[in-house]
Amino acid sequence: QEGAGGGGRCRETVNKILHLHFKDDKTRVSSDALLLMAEMLNVFVREAAARSTRQAQAEDLDKVDIEHVEKVLPQLLLDF
Amino acid sequence: MEPLGEQERERLLHSQRLKAAVHYTVGCLCQEVAEDKGIQFSKQTVAAISEITFRQCENFAKDLEMFARHGKRTVINSEDVKLLARRSNSLLRYITQKSEELALNNLEQKERKKKKSSAAKGRTTSDEQVEAVMAESEDSNMA
Repeated sequence: QEGAGGGGRCRETVNKILHLHFKDDKTRVSSDALLLMAEMLNVFVREAAARSTRQAQAEDLDKVDIEHVEKVLPQLLLDF
Repeated sequence: MEPLGEQERERLLHSQRLKAAVHYTVGCLCQEVAEDKGIQFSKQTVAAISEITFRQCENFAKDLEMFARHGKRTVINSEDVKLLARRSNSLLRYITQKSEELALNNLEQKERKKKKSSAAKGRTTSDEQVEAVMAESEDSNMA
């Protein structure tokens, strides 16, 4: 009902976030592109969480802390 | 003395609301991953991922706008999103696959609408009438 499309966050929210940063007022996003962007953001968050988890587990810890995020951040941003 | 104009404040509130929405969803996703892997996420971690995601959206938005403009369009489409996903092969494959699923879905919906309208035109029995009406209400529920 929200148009979430397979675990993506609400389409309208994605649309608003993108529109925050557009330089041209006339720029629009097709509904297919919106769905794909929701998927992409979903993947981004899951990757960030999973990679941080792997880092914490590699250090034999059972709690993921901010330094684990910091360690995986460079590669994450390069991959996206 | 007003440090921020009215419009500026509106904009700030708006972006803060969106950040909160992102933070909530990131929290939910982290919760899923935590349950799945039997591990815990500190609050700062969730906040950090949420902040990173929100900032990354700025890059995404600007890139998408540039891609569309490069193609002399004002509407961002699936091709632009695929271009955005180019840096990682597996990501590109995933997005391309989703895009094809969407295209298939759109085609199926068009087929359904065509059948419905042709059934409505050739309506002879009251049965077909009922069917057309029911399909229509189904459609409006989906919207």
